[in-house]
Amino acid sequence: MADVVQVVGTDDPVRPLFTAAGELKADARSGLGLDAAALRDLYKKMILIRRADQEALNLQRQGELGLWGQYLGQEAIHVGAVAALEPNDWIFPSYREFGMAMCRGVDPAEMLTWFRGLSHGPWDPRKYAFAPLAVPVATQVPHAVGFAMGSRLRGSDDVVLGTFGDGATSKGDWHEAMNFAGVFKAPVILLCQNNHWAISVPLAKQTAGSIAERAPGYGFPGIRIDGNDVLGVFAAVRAAAERARRGDGPYLIEAMTYRMGAHTSSDDPTRYRLDSELQTWSAKDPIARYRSWLQGQGHLDDAAAAAIDRAADTMAEQMRSRLRAAVPAPAGEAIFDRVYERPPGPFIEEREEFEASLEGT
Amino acid sequence: MEPVTMAKAINLSLRDALAGDEQVLVFGEDVGTLGGVFRITDGLQKTFGVDRVFDTPLAESTIIGIAVGLALRGFRPVPEIQFDGFVYSAFDQIVSHVAKYRNRSGISMPITIRIPFGGHIGAVEHHSESPEAYFTHTAGLKVVAPATPGDAYALLRSAIADPDPVIFFEPKARYYMKEEINPSLEVPIGSARVAREGSGATVIAYGPTVSLALDAASAAEKENISLEVIDLRSLSPLDMPTILASLQKTHRAVVVHEAPVFGGFGGEIAARISDDGFDLLEAPVARVGGMDAPYPPSRYEKLYLPDVDRILEAVDVALAYG
Amino acid sequence: MADQTFRLPDLGEGLTEAQLVTWRVQEGGHVEVNEPLCDVETAKAVVVIPSPWAGTIQKLHARPGESVAVGSALVTIAAEGAPAAVEPRPAEGVEATPSTLVGYGAGAGPQAGSRRRARVAPSAPQAGSDVRAAPFVRQLAKEKGIDLARLTGSGPGGRITRADVEGAASPPAAAAPAPEPTPTDGERRISVVGIRKAIARQMVRSVSTIPQFTEFAVFDATNLLAARERQKQSGRSLTPLPYFIVALVKAVRAFPLMNSSWDEARDEIVVKQPINLGIAVNTSQGLLVPVLRGADQLDLSAIADQSARLIEGARAGTLKPGEMSGGTITITNVGASGPVETGTPIISPPECCVVAFGAIKPRPMVIDGEVVARSGAWISISVDHRIVDGALATEFLTALVGELEHLHA
Repeated sequence: MADVVQVVGTDDPVRPLFTAAGELKADARSGLGLDAAALRDLYKKMILIRRADQEALNLQRQGELGLWGQYLGQEAIHVGAVAALEPNDWIFPSYREFGMAMCRGVDPAEMLTWFRGLSHGPWDPRKYAFAPLAVPVATQVPHAVGFAMGSRLRGSDDVVLGTFGDGATSKGDWHEAMNFAGVFKAPVILLCQNNHWAISVPLAKQTAGSIAERAPGYGFPGIRIDGNDVLGVFAAVRAAAERARRGDGPYLIEAMTYRMGAHTSSDDPTRYRLDSELQTWSAKDPIARYRSWLQGQGHLDDAAAAAIDRAADTMAEQMRSRLRAAVPAPAGEAIFDRVYERPPGPFIEEREEFEASLEGT
Repeated sequence: MEPVTMAKAINLSLRDALAGDEQVLVFGEDVGTLGGVFRITDGLQKTFGVDRVFDTPLAESTIIGIAVGLALRGFRPVPEIQFDGFVYSAFDQIVSHVAKYRNRSGISMPITIRIPFGGHIGAVEHHSESPEAYFTHTAGLKVVAPATPGDAYALLRSAIADPDPVIFFEPKARYYMKEEINPSLEVPIGSARVAREGSGATVIAYGPTVSLALDAASAAEKENISLEVIDLRSLSPLDMPTILASLQKTHRAVVVHEAPVFGGFGGEIAARISDDGFDLLEAPVARVGGMDAPYPPSRYEKLYLPDVDRILEAVDVALAYG
Repeated sequence: MADQTFRLPDLGEGLTEAQLVTWRVQEGGHVEVNEPLCDVETAKAVVVIPSPWAGTIQKLHARPGESVAVGSALVTIAAEGAPAAVEPRPAEGVEATPSTLVGYGAGAGPQAGSRRRARVAPSAPQAGSDVRAAPFVRQLAKEKGIDLARLTGSGPGGRITRADVEGAASPPAAAAPAPEPTPTDGERRISVVGIRKAIARQMVRSVSTIPQFTEFAVFDATNLLAARERQKQSGRSLTPLPYFIVALVKAVRAFPLMNSSWDEARDEIVVKQPINLGIAVNTSQGLLVPVLRGADQLDLSAIADQSARLIEGARAGTLKPGEMSGGTITITNVGASGPVETGTPIISPPECCVVAFGAIKPRPMVIDGEVVARSGAWISISVDHRIVDGALATEFLTALVGELEHLHA
């Protein structure tokens, strides 16, 4: 299956779309082929997932969730990347990609049962082409590459998106997976959401080099782009996906963004970062930027914006009430049901004993 | 059929699995062109092509990581870890994902991870380990270890056909053990076999220690001590009914493995026996295994590993309990 | 409109409390869903708690600066159109009210006893519960209706074997059961069970099978006490027992026959290699003899540690059966206080020798022709005459006295 390592940089359809600073060029922006409705839809999705993020944090503070990890500030990547893929292109997330899952149609209330302590995997990954969350950092990247290798073996033209943070690029699994992707020319887009912080460790202490520039060392191109520009992310992922679909192999996108919230609801970022840094990034907020661009283009009037806000409120209310109404599965089912497809005898016995011990409680 | 070595039996089993199910993929370090450092995969790439039998870069964690991705894509991956001592870098992928993926996704992981294990081959460090207990301790996995060519063939067929992940430990010291095999015999996962019948005490072994236990039984026979030998074949799930049936006769058990005794799989067997067969015991369950020291330089391995004398000593102690 | 009380949730994975920093609402005021209620500081961060309901604030349950335990009432709200807390249908085995994770903190857990099942009733303590027999042998005895306490074990350490039970199951002529004794005036019958019964059996076995004799000596404990004093100054006070053991081990090494047993069946003397020292301990239950294994391999400090642990364990009843078996020679003491100087100890079968030490106290001794007061104590040894004759016993006792008088530890 291993091919001769390709010559780097001869076929990079992404780079021409961007300036050297990673900004989407004006002609590329206007040449995306998205009509006003599609452009508005990107906006709406960003509003919805930000509202869900905020509601989830509230629910955590109200004791409804054990934990919440905000993606505040990273909405452009979540929305832009998913919009650039075909529905059957699998996505392998880390653990902060609820926004992406929502864009794939996963019910947010159902998703939150993960944080409510009711399930390790509330959705069927096959239904949404969206893999389960992967908590051990970077461990999902080999899965994405393996899946993509499988697509190639199948002769299918679907591609895979593996996404991860800047911290993940320190891990062996990431480097190993990058290497496999290059060697097997796997149709995979490796999307780094560089949000500058791995819990409390800043990017400068995470890596001494450029993440994007590592790709050529593995035999494929990479680019650093503005990750707070939803159209930039869309353009880069779509071009990388088309390239992979053609059989030209993997592509690394380093999307620069900022984790505007805490690492999780248990975290206190004031212990390790300056408020001024947050201010700087607030000025680059992906939603505000995109809204003013849309308005400038005449694609979003006040009424449309208000309607979208109302839709977000409705979504949040439903999410809240549906989460509260979530019916926990019986304990025997929750603990034992999905461990083995062909459960061994002793395992079945343990389950039966456990379930019998619950009777009458 | 001519007698074949265990190495050949495993090769035949892989060959039949690849031929019988086109979702089966064999991959790992040096398994393609070379046919594996033990030649277990010899000729498979030639027959089935580079898409189904392929060499990977040298990275155990991602060998297992891509197996997860390939399983999600509908394949039945059969990755090889070249040596027991190299599996540790893949531990996270095995424990966090191979074992738990179904639990978080509902999607089965029909992955069979082949690992040559155990000592007695005069190898350098990291090439003679017995890491089975790390995996029996992990819920979501099945763990097997054949002791004979016939069982190696049949158990591997069962493992690859199983919808759940299986760690397949190959006793590399027995790779060149020969016997006639019958490819139509099935060995389901979870079934032990009585390798020799006896009445005085039961010696419980798996993988490389089974033939050792049989040697001990032959030696004991000369002293009019009758030993029954159980070959577990499957560590997880564990076939307790076969063990208890034997103890009904002998009332004494000695567990033998190459791994260090402390925290070893023998402890689980002893505990299960005391749970389920307390009233059968005439003596405490004895454990014979490697020392609680790292695997030694190979000149010392014969002293470190269990041998016939150490098994018989444990049998003597068990028999001394009135 | 229903009053609902919001309790402080666990805000950060295992927290147990938080300090109220400030209220952002007041009693009688109105609040919307998700409007900030208050700021609290946990061990991890300061966080704002948003209101879970819309309505009128009825009561604030804590003051700024106050610590609030996870699960305690924080605020009561007369909630508007409250979906009177949507209570999900409880599922089997899952907490009935998971509508909020309040009280999910590290301290909270399932109520103990809520799932505890009736355990198998412990059977009444059986006569002879100190009998040493494997589980299978006990099971066999139960099946055959044999009281193990009536049997004398033929296995190692008096262990009752399967053969013992099988033999007892088919006695040549079953003895007629003893007639129920009729109590007469002036006597009280004490049923003999447990340790008392075991002691009785062991002592009968000793005196009825071992021809034993006893010799006595007095030793000068001056050096022993000096050694103790030195030890004390180096920070550790020891009883005389570890010193007795050290001396005894040295003497036994010179006279290995003292550490042996008589094999009745084969007319052989079995000389034991390790010195496993039985230490007779008087407990509230009766005499127990924990065994200090491999005493010949231990130094003074290890002997002191282990013997102290064994003695304590014997008194507390926490020793395992394995810790009270397998002795090869026994040490006991007589008259730790009071006027008694010594006695004639009885051998613990199948051992060959038992050594009794008396109390160390000042007594007149003749040193260089002068009567002087010196600290000393009696020692007596009882030995199995089948193995050891008087002359050898005397040599051994002399050697033991020599070791005791020349202790330098």
